[in-house]
Amino acid sequence: MTPAEIALLVLAALVVIVLALSSVARRLDRLHRRETRSRATLEAQLVHRAEAATALTESDLLDPASALILAEAGWRAAVTAPRLLGEDGADAAEERGLAESELTRALRAALGPAADQEQWATTPESSQLLARLATASYRVQLARRFHNDAVVQIRRIRRNLLVRFFHLAGRAPLPQTFEMDDELTVLDPSSGTSPSSAG
Amino acid sequence: MRVGLVCPYSFDAPGGVQFHIRDLAEHLIGHGHHVSVLAPADEDTEVPDYLVSVGGAVPVRYNGSVARLSFGPAVSARTARWLATGAFDVVHIHEPFAPSVGMIALRRSEAPVVATFHSAQERSRALQVAYPLVRPGLEQISARIAVSEDARRTVVEHLGGDAVVIPNGVNTRYFADATPNPAWQGTPERPTLAFLGRLDEPRKGLQVLMAAVPAIRARYPGLRVLVAGRGDLAAATAQLGEHAAAVEELGAISDAEKAALFASVDAYIAPQTGGESFGIVLVEAMSAGTSVIASDLNAFRRVLDDGGSGFLFSTGDPASLADTVLRTLGDPAERGRRRAHAETAVRRFDWDEVAARILDVYAMVTAHGSQPSTGWLRRLFGPRSAP
Repeated sequence: MTPAEIALLVLAALVVIVLALSSVARRLDRLHRRETRSRATLEAQLVHRAEAATALTESDLLDPASALILAEAGWRAAVTAPRLLGEDGADAAEERGLAESELTRALRAALGPAADQEQWATTPESSQLLARLATASYRVQLARRFHNDAVVQIRRIRRNLLVRFFHLAGRAPLPQTFEMDDELTVLDPSSGTSPSSAG
Repeated sequence: MRVGLVCPYSFDAPGGVQFHIRDLAEHLIGHGHHVSVLAPADEDTEVPDYLVSVGGAVPVRYNGSVARLSFGPAVSARTARWLATGAFDVVHIHEPFAPSVGMIALRRSEAPVVATFHSAQERSRALQVAYPLVRPGLEQISARIAVSEDARRTVVEHLGGDAVVIPNGVNTRYFADATPNPAWQGTPERPTLAFLGRLDEPRKGLQVLMAAVPAIRARYPGLRVLVAGRGDLAAATAQLGEHAAAVEELGAISDAEKAALFASVDAYIAPQTGGESFGIVLVEAMSAGTSVIASDLNAFRRVLDDGGSGFLFSTGDPASLADTVLRTLGDPAERGRRRAHAETAVRRFDWDEVAARILDVYAMVTAHGSQPSTGWLRRLFGPRSAP
């Protein structure tokens, strides 16, 4: 082989390596964009759920003690707990997750098991409130699952040594899965079923 | 919302997945959404006007049975054109890892992708082999739906991650409103049982039912077994001898006849031996108001609420089936109770409910969907941005 041929081979090998690395970088970029979107969606759905819970406390459906506890939990989740869109990362997400779990527990205690929830759906207004909450909590389950799915895939790729060595993830921070207790069964009076139980 | 549905299997020989997509498309259109379905179909196959054909399909052995799939450069080009002209808000691909048009659409879609997994298998060789090839495709899927717990387990085991369970939809009202056909209605002396499915496909379990016929006939000599479906019935009844007289062949039947059959017979028998992920026929039979006697496959247990809305027997066991049939026919009060439970239980499978849940999923992946791409090079070398 002449030096020219060797140089050509080396060049070809380099091109192949660069192409392979850039394809991984592109995949990662696409995933990171998906993760940003799914996090924004999750944030929005969490707020919707807290609003639906708060609306429930403003009706005179619940007993005053449940209403007070629920209103407090809803306020913390929707207003005082950190948002998922900031730059504070893992700690903020963990704190938010705790606040959201508390809201879930408050809702579970206030509403009781799904079998007993028929009693709330006595007027069109209360049925509407329940339906709104049923949809919101089902959507939170969906959004959280889809978000965590994206996070898990990103973290798997970023564990790869080559990806770390070449900084293929660039400056994107390592995303965290969002953990919370979202097990909530709300009877949806409009359909007679509870979508959140099958999530 | 502009929705693009992708079906990997050909509409020339429609099956469960194709019907699901057809019903979903029509339901969404009925609710004012713009829907286009991309699927293989021959030129001379009559297709609805919302369906765009990617061309003819080739019969290929895949996942344990012969499927009619589409692939190749022409299919790829047509898929790209469909995606470009459709300008969809969401692309919903069914069975994305069947080596067909769905897999191609997955790699080419710019819009958020929702994927529905229909099949359930203990160990899918096809998926195991395909795994390294489908990995990048998997990352393109923003939301995964499984039609049953079993399909979900298949996804979790083979692909990792999770999926939300949204069952198959059924037009329950269509079956509830069906008019019984007197020719198929049973009497206390001459009860009628129905079987539906391919006669020569052992998985459908006709042989189990046939083996149970003599024992049932011992109690009910006037028993009538109505067998509907394509295949050679003579071969199936060859072992029965004189008991073959109880078996009546209906051949392939239309949807309307199916609904009438379920509304007429004393019990619908589902003796499937495996490979069932959901059991949509059971829901149809329950909606029409007949008693359902089914093998105790996981999928059937779930649809029947562990026997709360039907009767279960040991899968593949003719003696257990005969026993269960006799018990069912002999206890009208219990039958009535379970039918009443079934009537409310099927509501969760109604298309109104199912389509609303699918729309929830669409909303979750499109809510913040149109964010401009900053480019991967900028992520690599650009200034640090907010997470």
